[in-house]
Amino acid sequence: MNTSETSQSIHEQIVTLLPRLRRFARNLTRNPHDADDVVQIAVERALTRLDQWRSGARLDSWMFKIVRNAWIDELRSRGRRGKIFLAAEAGENIGTDSMAREAELLSVQSAMARLPEDQREAVSLVLVEGLPYREAAEVLDVPIGTLTSRLARGREALQALLGTEGEAT
Amino acid sequence: MTISDETLMAYADGELDAAARAAVESAMREDPQIEARVAAHRTLRRKVLEAYSAELSEDVPERLLAAARGVESTRSKVVNLEDARAAMERRASRGRPLRPQWRTTGTIAASLIAGVGLGFFMWGHTESPLMRNAGGALVARGQLAQALSNQLAAEQSRDSPVQIGVSFRAKSGDYCRTFALSGAVSPSGLACRQGGEWQVQALTQEPGAAGDSGYRTAGSALSGTILKSVEGQIAGEPLDQAGERAARQRSWAAPDR
Repeated sequence: MNTSETSQSIHEQIVTLLPRLRRFARNLTRNPHDADDVVQIAVERALTRLDQWRSGARLDSWMFKIVRNAWIDELRSRGRRGKIFLAAEAGENIGTDSMAREAELLSVQSAMARLPEDQREAVSLVLVEGLPYREAAEVLDVPIGTLTSRLARGREALQALLGTEGEAT
Repeated sequence: MTISDETLMAYADGELDAAARAAVESAMREDPQIEARVAAHRTLRRKVLEAYSAELSEDVPERLLAAARGVESTRSKVVNLEDARAAMERRASRGRPLRPQWRTTGTIAASLIAGVGLGFFMWGHTESPLMRNAGGALVARGQLAQALSNQLAAEQSRDSPVQIGVSFRAKSGDYCRTFALSGAVSPSGLACRQGGEWQVQALTQEPGAAGDSGYRTAGSALSGTILKSVEGQIAGEPLDQAGERAARQRSWAAPDR
C-alpha cells in the first residue's frame, strides 16, 4: 500500500469519526463551541502526528486521547476553569422547551454534566462511546482498576440522579 | 455468594471472561436481587447511549470536515493580524492580489489582537480604522469610531461603510457593540467603550463574504467567533433601540464608573 493511499484513507476515517469526536468533546467541555474548537485543534494535531499512530491501534481511541489532551492544554492556557462551570450551567438549559421524550434524554445529559470530571470521562468513553475498559483506561492514561472504579462511581451517581435505582427493564 | 457491584457492572458491559461470566450468570439465576442489579446496569447503559445517539446525526461543521481532510477552510477564519498585515505589505510591494495567510486558532478571539500595528486595512482607501493607544490596546478611530459612537442599529443606512450589529452591556459594566466593515477585506468585530475609547476586543475575517454584493444583515454577518465573544461578555439582554439611544446619550460611559 503506498503512503498517499494510506493517509487518504485516514483522512476519511477521521471524517467518519467526527460526530463521535464532537460528542466526546462536548462531554468533556460541556460547551458545544469549545467542543468544536477542541475537535478542530485535535484533528489538526493528529494529522501532523500520524506517524505516532501505531497501526493496529484503534484510531478512535487515539483520537479521543488527542481530543482530551487538546482540552487539557486549552484549559491550562485559558486558566479559566471557573468560567467553564458557568458554561455548563447554561448548557443545561438548552432545549428545556422540548417535548417530554426529550426531557428524559436531557436529564441524562444534565446528570452527566453534574458528574465530577474523572467520572464523566470514564462514563463517556465506556457507556457513550462504547470503548472497552482497556481502551478507555489507555485514553485516560490510568490503570484499568482506576478506570473501573471511576466508572462504577459515575454510574452510581447517575443512578442516583436519574432515580433509576433498582428499576428493572 | 457475594459478587461485587464492579463485577456486575463489568458483566453488563461485556468485560468478563468466560469463567467469570458463568459465575455471574449462575448467581443471577439463584438470586433475583443480583439479576435486578444487572438489569439496572443495563438499563442505565441503554439510557445513556440513547441520550447521546441523536448527536451522531447532527451535521458536522464545514471547518471540521475541512480540517479532517487537511484542506484549508475558506470560511470564518480568525485573522492573525500580524500575518494579514505582512501579506498586505507584500501586496503593496509586489502589486499582487491580496493573499493573507489566515490562521485558524479557533479559540478566544480576544487573544488574537496581539501584534496589531497601524495600517492593516485598506479601508475606504483612507485611513486605518484601527490604531494602538498609548497603553497598547487596539482602538477604533476615524469612521469606525464615529459609527460606534453615533450610529444606531435600527436607523443605519445600508450604504454606511460601518454596520453596527448588537449593542449590549458587558459583565464588566462597559458598553460593547459588534460591527462589520465594508470593503475587499470585510472584517467584523466587537468593540467595548473603555476610557473614552472604543477598544476592539475581537476581530474576524470572512473572506469574500460581504464584497460588492452588498451587506448581509448585521446579525448574520457576525461570525461564530464574534458571537462567542459576545456570549462570553454579555450581561443580560442586548440593548433595544431605546437602550442604544440612552447609551449614546451618555456617550457610552459605563454607569458604574
